Amino acid sequence: MKKFLAVVKREYLQRVRAKMFIVTTVLLPGAMSLFGVVPILMLSIKTPPVRVVVVDQTGKLYDQLRQGLMSDESAQPANENNAEPRSPGRRGLTSFQLEEINAPDQSMDQLRNSLNQRLRQREIDGYLILPPDFLVRGQAEFFNNNPGDLFSPPALQSALNRAVREQRLIEAKVDNKTREELFRPVDLQAVKIGESGGRDSGSSFALVFGIGFVMYISILMYGQIVLGAVIEEKETRIAEILFSSVRPFPLMMGKLVGVSLVALTQLTIWGLAFSAFALYGVNLLASRGLPSFSIPGIPFSHYIYFLLFFLLGYFIYATIYALVGSMVTTAQEGGQLAMPIILLLVVSFYLFFPVSRSPDSSFSFWVSMIPFTAPVAMLVRIVTHTPPFWQIALSLLIGFSSVLVIMFIASRVYRVGMLMYGKRASIPEAWRWARQA
Amino acid sequence: MPASEITIKLDRVSKNFGEFTAVRDLSLDVCAGRVFGLLGPNGAGKTTTIRMIVNITAPDTGNVYLFGRKIDQALQDRIGYLPEERGLYRRMRIVDQLRFFAELKNVRGKQAESKIDEWLERVKLSEWKNKRSMELSKGMQQKIQFITSVIHDPDLLILDEPFSGLDPINTELLKEIVLDLKRAGKTIIFSTHQMEVAERICDDICLLNRSRKILEGSLRDIKRSFGRNSVAIRCEGGDGVLDDPEFVSKLVRHVDEAQVLLAPGADAQKLLRRLIDSGAEIGKFEMMEPSLNDIFITKVTESA
Repeated sequence: MKKFLAVVKREYLQRVRAKMFIVTTVLLPGAMSLFGVVPILMLSIKTPPVRVVVVDQTGKLYDQLRQGLMSDESAQPANENNAEPRSPGRRGLTSFQLEEINAPDQSMDQLRNSLNQRLRQREIDGYLILPPDFLVRGQAEFFNNNPGDLFSPPALQSALNRAVREQRLIEAKVDNKTREELFRPVDLQAVKIGESGGRDSGSSFALVFGIGFVMYISILMYGQIVLGAVIEEKETRIAEILFSSVRPFPLMMGKLVGVSLVALTQLTIWGLAFSAFALYGVNLLASRGLPSFSIPGIPFSHYIYFLLFFLLGYFIYATIYALVGSMVTTAQEGGQLAMPIILLLVVSFYLFFPVSRSPDSSFSFWVSMIPFTAPVAMLVRIVTHTPPFWQIALSLLIGFSSVLVIMFIASRVYRVGMLMYGKRASIPEAWRWARQA
Repeated sequence: MPASEITIKLDRVSKNFGEFTAVRDLSLDVCAGRVFGLLGPNGAGKTTTIRMIVNITAPDTGNVYLFGRKIDQALQDRIGYLPEERGLYRRMRIVDQLRFFAELKNVRGKQAESKIDEWLERVKLSEWKNKRSMELSKGMQQKIQFITSVIHDPDLLILDEPFSGLDPINTELLKEIVLDLKRAGKTIIFSTHQMEVAERICDDICLLNRSRKILEGSLRDIKRSFGRNSVAIRCEGGDGVLDDPEFVSKLVRHVDEAQVLLAPGADAQKLLRRLIDSGAEIGKFEMMEPSLNDIFITKVTESA
């Protein structure tokens, strides 16, 4: 046991102290948050106002249009003044500088020519022509020299819409009070079923999916490291020295546990960083008056299951990497042999869907007992229709015993392979070696 | 010899790998306080024998006794083993590696620290203590590997080709340490196919070939039993005489002298007379004990 701990300690300290570990631990969340923050920063850069000339041939709409566009500029919450459905992201992104031209003495062509001239000289960014029959036919034209501007035309359109509607109501002799009444926005509040005490399986599903995803990522990242750790002594030719002091099984277990603790350390650091960031983010949203989302009502026992099955999933796949490592002599060979592991992992991921459709079927039962598929399958069953406790316990028992059995086989294969030396084991050979004393 | 002095006893030990027999029916006694040479050509079964002694593999039949007890896991801590296949963790600091290897032998804490310092001092690598092993030269690494096998003060030390690749100064340094350990009452098994090295430090030898023991005993006795059938000669002329198969079974010419292995039944005095008669001018004519190398070659060829 002391020797096992010595192996764990070495694996853990060597890896955690390595520059690589520190760099990835710091860099990855940094890079992630960069991806999240940069687009928001980019969008929030203030651009100069769009200069638009309005030729209002109806003579009635300019003031209201102006009012509509200017009120857009002041950051008022969405949908207060404006019944038009608009994507909130565009709000406030564009500001306008309007200029009205009334030139009844000029012909339309003359007017256009002079405006086109100004457009080319970049004195203005666009002009809007509202024809005299605009209130009836509702067709207007907006000329601009920047086809890449995705934000101004929709903003103009919605402002125009509102202006026209207002004007039509005025012309229909609707009084002020009724008009205000008509434009009063509704308040749609999204109510979660979970808050009324029932099961909130939507967010639980998301959590299961998230756990599966974290499992997948950590296997991808750390499987190779487990593989490398097992091969390390073969490549550095230390194996025989070690075998004169420690049995292969504690050695292999020590390596697996040591590397896994490194993985958990890193995940914990990221988890804490992420939680801090998320809390900060939620507070920020809340302070801006946006609805904060509450933590879904998941029973406490589920969190324990999440943790246990995450660990099971991680260990079951990590041990297969260790087994592969015991069979090969170089990391490159190991990489090739490890490919099917990823495939198995992906397959177990897809079980998410059939199991969530019928969590109580016998199919669901069996896949939640098979160690390779149990982590995802059982978690799905737990959040949809929690199976009896004995099933959960049995699944965990089978899973963790499999980890031990695989590690035992791996240590056998490792030892025999090392003593034979320099040769990659075929699967039948590995099987023979495992049985050989 | 009294049984209490026997450190290792192999009792009719055999080991097979599938069809291949690595060690066949081997019995051995290794005594405390002596250097025991386990010799033999490549593939003779030396490494397999050692692995059974160290309890890395178990024999198929027969038993291995260490310090009077049947070998088990706990006894491993009393053995120091420097295998032929050896290395260090490349990125680990020397002191961390040594601490790790000591821990695997159940030596920890202050005791381990003082041992590490003591041994680094002794192989003259103290200033490398905090370097990573990839920064060390091959010879330095080899000395560190040697320390890993003695850091826990073992009663039995097994060294497999310990000097291969070392320069003469470091070879001498390690050889002195090995002899010191022997004087301190430790048992040392020394496996090599460098016969000159074995000849200088082994008290007893066992010669393996093709998984069998073909010769065993103290080096002194073995040499004596082979008799003085080797002659070192330095002479001018008389070439025809030395090529005569009636007298000479083997002739090796060095730069300024020749080594002659007498044919069975040939008399050295007669050879000398023949040389004088043929008009050769003799500078040296010396009866020699056979070298271990000669014994090795003779025996291995004989048993083939």
